Amino acid sequence: MEFNDNYPKYEVMSNHDEEYGKKARRKLWNVFWLMLFVTIAELVVGFIAPSKGWTGTFGLKFFFISFTLIKAGAIVWWFMHLEHEVKFFKYVILLPYSVFMLYAIFIILTEGTYAGGSGRFAPLDPIFKKQQAELKLRHGHGASHGSHNNAGHEGETGHH
Amino acid sequence: MGHAIEYNAREAWSGGQSPFRVSYGKMMMWFFLISDALTFGGLLVSYGFIRHKYADVWPKAENVFTHFPFIEQHIPLAYVGLMTFILIMSSVTMVLAVEAGHRMDKKGVIIWMFWTIVGGLTFVGSQAWEWYHFIVGTEEGALRNVWNDELGKYVPQIVHGANMVVNEYGLPQFANYFFFITGFHGFHVFSGVVINLIIFINVIKGTYEKRGHYEMVEKVGLYWHFVDLVWVFVFTFFYLL
Repeated sequence: MEFNDNYPKYEVMSNHDEEYGKKARRKLWNVFWLMLFVTIAELVVGFIAPSKGWTGTFGLKFFFISFTLIKAGAIVWWFMHLEHEVKFFKYVILLPYSVFMLYAIFIILTEGTYAGGSGRFAPLDPIFKKQQAELKLRHGHGASHGSHNNAGHEGETGHH
Repeated sequence: MGHAIEYNAREAWSGGQSPFRVSYGKMMMWFFLISDALTFGGLLVSYGFIRHKYADVWPKAENVFTHFPFIEQHIPLAYVGLMTFILIMSSVTMVLAVEAGHRMDKKGVIIWMFWTIVGGLTFVGSQAWEWYHFIVGTEEGALRNVWNDELGKYVPQIVHGANMVVNEYGLPQFANYFFFITGFHGFHVFSGVVINLIIFINVIKGTYEKRGHYEMVEKVGLYWHFVDLVWVFVFTFFYLL
């Protein structure tokens, strides 16, 4: 078969007139308001979470991750114009990446415990460990109340 | 004339034309972004792994990033929220530049690309400012075992701020991942600004007006949106969770 290279030029495929542009711009600004709303909601929840005792709960993680995925989807779909690409190209972009990342997350969650066995990681600084233990005693849970207090001055030296 | 182009999938695959209806350059930009996204995905997955490994002693971001320029009080997450807003805003101006390009509106492209570059530079500057405060740390510091070369052993010592070896705020691994992932992202923002600047100069010179289309603006726009996309995830996993 003769190769004639007559696929549509970019200006034919993508350029549009003023009327279509008006609609496109309105849509883009709507996406902007969605993104702004999602970001502010995330920040407000992140700000009040410690006082409400939500820190580390499944609900909070689910909220943050799902709102992140909404924002990510909005960027890819509307800002990067993936909605205007042909169907097969959408699959080429989205499928291999999603499958690979889901697998990576799955394997790190299931097989991650294997690598966490003793001796595979450098041990914690004993002074830091002691500070964390004291914080835990005082507040009921560690790390969440900052760790720059000088607890454990008499800490032992060397950790190997 | 809108985006609806007659397209017969069966016919398109029989040869002689582009079945994806995209130019070589744009497709390669997408493929590059996928490979780049795999790098960032790998970094974030490994970050999640280490974070779970040390879940009980991992520092909380709201105790680390509490500064805001010109304000003495500690406001957790406010500045990084502003940075996120600036980057999203520059993504909006970029997509408006692409839209102006589709109408062959040279003036519109110049205005919107200008604001995109301003937003990108503001973001990079903000990140440098945040790194500075993280590296310098607090006045009171924290006690840690620090390796002493002369004595050949670990010695207890007050440390201020964070670097690749010690971290005032908690585990050194937190600082390692913070520097590596936000640094890698910041470098992407910086190169994005440089690429945007080159295309911006070409737009002013009228290169794309002569060419008959602004596809190059859309290509750099893809890269710029990708940078914003990565930040959305970094923001969640480093600052919010």
